[in-house]
Amino acid sequence: MFLLLKQLQSVRREAGLSRGPRRSLRVRHVDAGSCNGCEHELGAVSNPFYDLPRFGLDIVASPRHADVLLVTGPVTTRMAGPLRIAYEAMPEPRLVAALGDCALGCNVLGDAAEIVGLEEVLPVDIRIPGCPPTPEQIASALASAAGSAGRGPRSAGRA
Amino acid sequence: MRDEVQRILDAGGRFAAAWASGEQWRAAFTTPDGVRVLSTREPVSIVDLVEAAAWDEREAHDLYGLAFPGHTPLRPLVAHPATGWTTPVSGDGVHEVAVGPIHAGVIESGHFRFHTVGDRVLAMDPRLFYKHRGLERAAEGRAPQDALPYVRRACAACAVANSVAYAHAVEEALGLWPDRSLRVARTLALELERLYNHLHDIGALCAGTGFAPGTMAFAALKERAQRIIARVAGHRFLFGAVAVGTGALSLDDPRETRAELRELRADAAAAWRELEFAASLQARLDDVGVLAREDALRLGTVGPAARASGVREDARTNSPRLWYGQFTPAQPLAETGDVAARLQVRAAELEATCELLDELLAKPVAPGETTARDEPRAIGVGRVECARGATVCAVELHDGKVARVRLRTASYANWPAVAHAAAGCLLPDFPLINKSFELCYACVDR
Repeated sequence: MFLLLKQLQSVRREAGLSRGPRRSLRVRHVDAGSCNGCEHELGAVSNPFYDLPRFGLDIVASPRHADVLLVTGPVTTRMAGPLRIAYEAMPEPRLVAALGDCALGCNVLGDAAEIVGLEEVLPVDIRIPGCPPTPEQIASALASAAGSAGRGPRSAGRA
Repeated sequence: MRDEVQRILDAGGRFAAAWASGEQWRAAFTTPDGVRVLSTREPVSIVDLVEAAAWDEREAHDLYGLAFPGHTPLRPLVAHPATGWTTPVSGDGVHEVAVGPIHAGVIESGHFRFHTVGDRVLAMDPRLFYKHRGLERAAEGRAPQDALPYVRRACAACAVANSVAYAHAVEEALGLWPDRSLRVARTLALELERLYNHLHDIGALCAGTGFAPGTMAFAALKERAQRIIARVAGHRFLFGAVAVGTGALSLDDPRETRAELRELRADAAAAWRELEFAASLQARLDDVGVLAREDALRLGTVGPAARASGVREDARTNSPRLWYGQFTPAQPLAETGDVAARLQVRAAELEATCELLDELLAKPVAPGETTARDEPRAIGVGRVECARGATVCAVELHDGKVARVRLRTASYANWPAVAHAAAGCLLPDFPLINKSFELCYACVDR
């Protein structure tokens, strides 16, 4: 089964498939040691005040269904391994987003011996600062990553 | 130490926290006469006397290398051995189901090891501390005010409760006493935190049953609460609303906030009535995840979970450093200790919190101050009721710096109860049982 999955992983890239004109982005979230603030706000973007799914943005359960790996927390020694496994399970092309100041390595993090740092583990493509970022900031960052900055997300900035 | 522990327990004392500090092992108990801290250089396990101390001993073994004769097997808690996990259950037909550390949603990271026969859970072993950031160690050696951000970083959803428990501990060690304004301002911050947490937790429980209308309604109510909080405190999670030795939250004109909260209260009450009559939700709640009163007492369970099981304790009834006056703990309709009772306690507390907020906002809120009143001491202990129960923070000061800080949150106290309540239930009911406690992982892992 793992061979099949490995083959499937690169099919989309090898076929030269773009994500197409439809604005959509599938996001897999991984908590790599956050204080739960970013989780609360990421959960909030699905509430009726922000309603992120209307921009074609969706939080998915499996990394195999995801375009973006959205990481919160400074990446603890114990979460570096699971985080890498989640990333490796994603189909290509794949993006990594750092959500919040901890993931960006610029906050009150903890004991240096317990922290690895996201940039040490994965390449970061999208940076969403804040402690925690507000739902508006998360919605607008993800919506622009979905390539719909000019049209759909106008109301995201306003929400 | 064991004889002294037994005497404290016989006199009605309850375990609060235990921690390693330098060469010392300390255990704190709440007694009718206040907090008592015992110290020893030669720790011996007290888990046969105080089962609630089990995680404290396991943690000290992993992080400080202490041995606890009498605690067998002393299984890893914070340490994550590649091999050598001992499992609580084995036998014919027993199947292990591993869940996590990454879960299928926007959820904190942690591993659950279920031991099942068919769909029936025999035992659940929570393996947390994936998010261990060493915050206590990072806080040590700093001035009390500079160490506060490390305590607050432990958990966003309990940021106020953890910060106030820490501030109380430091102020007790320094002999400081808060004036009336500071007591009011901190109580306001604590109750605002409880407000959005309870709204969130009721919604999360609806999500655990797949009842989407309830999830969305309470998510919207929580959002409204957080927008009100952001206007009052300048931050959606009240970061910065607590300082050590002084006030950090004030509100010159509370009238608009009070009116908005009244509106929110009415809408939350209406939404709760809808849940009470939603058959597809209610059918899932009774007799699921039962925690008996004696088990809650034995495991040291705190907060709404303990009150749902008939343990009528609430740190707010004994909080002279805050402004709770003649506070009466909320009770469920029936103290059945199941998911239904835990949900009901939250709804009752939500109403009580709204009532308290209405009182607190009747007058302008000033930041307040502390004044020197008592003799300084080496160890201070703060105990504050967060949305999940009593959180204890112990602080040891040396030369004006934090020599040791131990944050034992309500979530830390209650995880063993989640495991106990899950045993005997159906595996697919676990998300629901878990959400009825709605514990933080961040608060535990630190």
